[in-house]
Amino acid sequence: MDLSLTEEQQLLKQSVEDFVAREATREEIVELAESDLGFSPEHYTRVAELGWLGAAIPERYGGAGMGLTDAAVLFEAFGYAALPGPFVSSAVVSALIVEEAATEEQRAELLPRLASGLAIAVLALTEAAYGWGPEGVHMRAHASGGDYLLDGTKLFVHDAIGATHFIVAVRTGDEAGLSLLLVDASSPGVSVRRLDGFTGSECVVRFEDVRVPASAVLGEAGGAETPLERALARATPVLCAYQVGGGQAAFDMAVAYSRERRQFGQPIGRFQHVQNHIIQLVNHVDASRWTTYEALWRLDEGKSGGEVASHLAKAVTSEGFVQAVNFSHEVHAGVGVMHEYGLTLYTQLSRSLYHQLGSPRWHRRRLGDLLVDHDLGPDPLE
Amino acid sequence: MDFEPAYTPEQRAFRAEVRAWLADHVPQVEGDQDSDENYAKYRQLGRELGEQGWLRPTAPTEYGGGGLTIDHAIVLAEEMDRHNLTMPPYYDSGGSLGGASILVWGSEEQKRRLLPPIFRGETVTWQLLTGPEAGSDLASTETDAVRDGDEYVINGTKIFIGGSHGADSFWTIVRTDREAPRHQNVSWFMIPADLPGITVERMYLLGDGGEGIGSGYKNTIYFDNVRVPAENLVGGENNGWAVASTHLELEHGSGGRIGRNVTFERTRDRLRSLPSNGAHPLDDTESRGLLADVFMETEVQRLLDLRNFWMNRSHNEMSYEGPQASYFRKMSNLRVAQTLLELLGPYALLDDTEEFDDQQGWFASFQRNAIVQLHPGGTADIQKVIMARRIGIGREVRERAGKTVE
Repeated sequence: MDLSLTEEQQLLKQSVEDFVAREATREEIVELAESDLGFSPEHYTRVAELGWLGAAIPERYGGAGMGLTDAAVLFEAFGYAALPGPFVSSAVVSALIVEEAATEEQRAELLPRLASGLAIAVLALTEAAYGWGPEGVHMRAHASGGDYLLDGTKLFVHDAIGATHFIVAVRTGDEAGLSLLLVDASSPGVSVRRLDGFTGSECVVRFEDVRVPASAVLGEAGGAETPLERALARATPVLCAYQVGGGQAAFDMAVAYSRERRQFGQPIGRFQHVQNHIIQLVNHVDASRWTTYEALWRLDEGKSGGEVASHLAKAVTSEGFVQAVNFSHEVHAGVGVMHEYGLTLYTQLSRSLYHQLGSPRWHRRRLGDLLVDHDLGPDPLE
Repeated sequence: MDFEPAYTPEQRAFRAEVRAWLADHVPQVEGDQDSDENYAKYRQLGRELGEQGWLRPTAPTEYGGGGLTIDHAIVLAEEMDRHNLTMPPYYDSGGSLGGASILVWGSEEQKRRLLPPIFRGETVTWQLLTGPEAGSDLASTETDAVRDGDEYVINGTKIFIGGSHGADSFWTIVRTDREAPRHQNVSWFMIPADLPGITVERMYLLGDGGEGIGSGYKNTIYFDNVRVPAENLVGGENNGWAVASTHLELEHGSGGRIGRNVTFERTRDRLRSLPSNGAHPLDDTESRGLLADVFMETEVQRLLDLRNFWMNRSHNEMSYEGPQASYFRKMSNLRVAQTLLELLGPYALLDDTEEFDDQQGWFASFQRNAIVQLHPGGTADIQKVIMARRIGIGREVRERAGKTVE
């Protein structure tokens, strides 16, 4: 038993912190949030050059083959900085989908490009009747002379703007199951628009008579449901780690502010109501942290219960991040809602990421189904 | 990271040995686990574990412990857990906490005299902390000890103490200087339970606190001119608050724990056997959601306790983590209790072993103890006060945690 970070993981964390301090300051990130693209392609290129995009991609496909826990340490540090960009969406979610669902030939073609940042692929799964389960996928792809014709709309697609490719979940022809199609974002008929509102990177992606070759199917037509589920179970706690980083930042900001802000002649942190906010905050962050890292450990080590742990982590962490930010706002009052201060970066993220890869409600539902027969772990003697 | 102990072939062999030994030695009991007859069987098991060096596996052998590693302790705790038992297999929090304090603060002579009976399971010890006038504000005890020759004379009252089967010794903090400033006026004593002038009176409370076999009820202890040998003063006169910081830290959750998620397993077992109209609860979406809620709460509890277990045993410096786990458990169990009311309906209240309850009253105890557990080891509010100091909310200098290892 050892819950500490390894020396390599500590170095990795330090390297990200140095990178952020040098190349992605808080002021810059606040400005990016207001920009059209919402992230900096330069940051994306630099992160690729540093080899970090390949964290969750095996070495034989041009990645660093680090393991999910290492990747999580990296992306937690990104989350701490609220660094925007399709990092997790492309280099983790899509990479794991390709690894789980695609043919060997497709893996060899795609994964090196995701690792090098030459391609940015994002998953386009959810639709107007929003939901992350296979039941939420209604869009169809019709066979047409050896090709597929796509028609339909994918809604709340995270990080679609700036993507070079979409992995589109569809129903094909007579197949009952799900299929995943790799679609070039520059194909005729594909359009992307960032959604307005208290949103982050969520977009609507439209496909109007988009023609893709049959070879665009990742793996087997109609056979994507199981590999997709497996990939999302692995990717989810890495996204959770990004949320944990954001929650940790909201905590550190609140503690610092409780010391420097004085009212009624003393630091506000001397008031027990203020203390209570921060205590609730840290409890949410720590609950998120340990459910997340336990899930990562189970998945990395091939322990039983990885899928259950992944659902548990997302349910706890999405709720935990929202609560952490809310309590930080209670401590910060007016200062907390000033854009330049930076807390609102996390506020927005906590709302958007609440849904990405499934909301707490959805994961609680999946958890309930799995728990009926869940085995709490093997006997160490067997 | 590694969330479970890595078992070497030697440890696997040790586990096999422990499992076989426990199969031979864990007593068969019928009826109330806490009856006098059954309690005596568990005490006997404790003595036998003590002879093996397994009762307090990591305590030094020269003081009656097992001198074993943390991994051995984990194996023993896990194997006891398979029998739904803790280590020790009865209520002896005074021994666990007092033993730790004596290890940190006792003289060599005191360690050799006081620790072996505790570590070998020969005695049961009660901790006497709360007084009628000193609850959350423990340091304001009005129980006095006055030196008289080679003895101290103790007068006063302690409440919410111990369990249902008596103890061999007590320890407590008492006021030894009425004039000195707070925290510098108390001392820590080990007191044989059979000294003249001690009266033990049973209290009638909502629940047993869920502290294990032998914790059936609490008591009020009266000291009326009780003469305690001065050699039983641990840590020096007026240094009692420092000594107490060790066991308070542990009692606030810093020791952590490992074990299965029993609440979840029991809940699912109970759901399986429930009668139903139409869809069985385990096939019903709403019930499954509530079962997931129980799982989420109790897994977070388990993980915070696991983290503390690891931090404590690997000698990581702890900060707010002890009181955090304690606070979280207290509040979380209140939420779980309400979820169980919803999920199991009135079955959540039953201790009707005769007919309608197949979990030996476990859920009725849970409902009671979720309330009772709000106060022991410091109220939920006190845990928050300690967390705030340790985190350094509103203060530049963070308070440090008490010393729990030598």
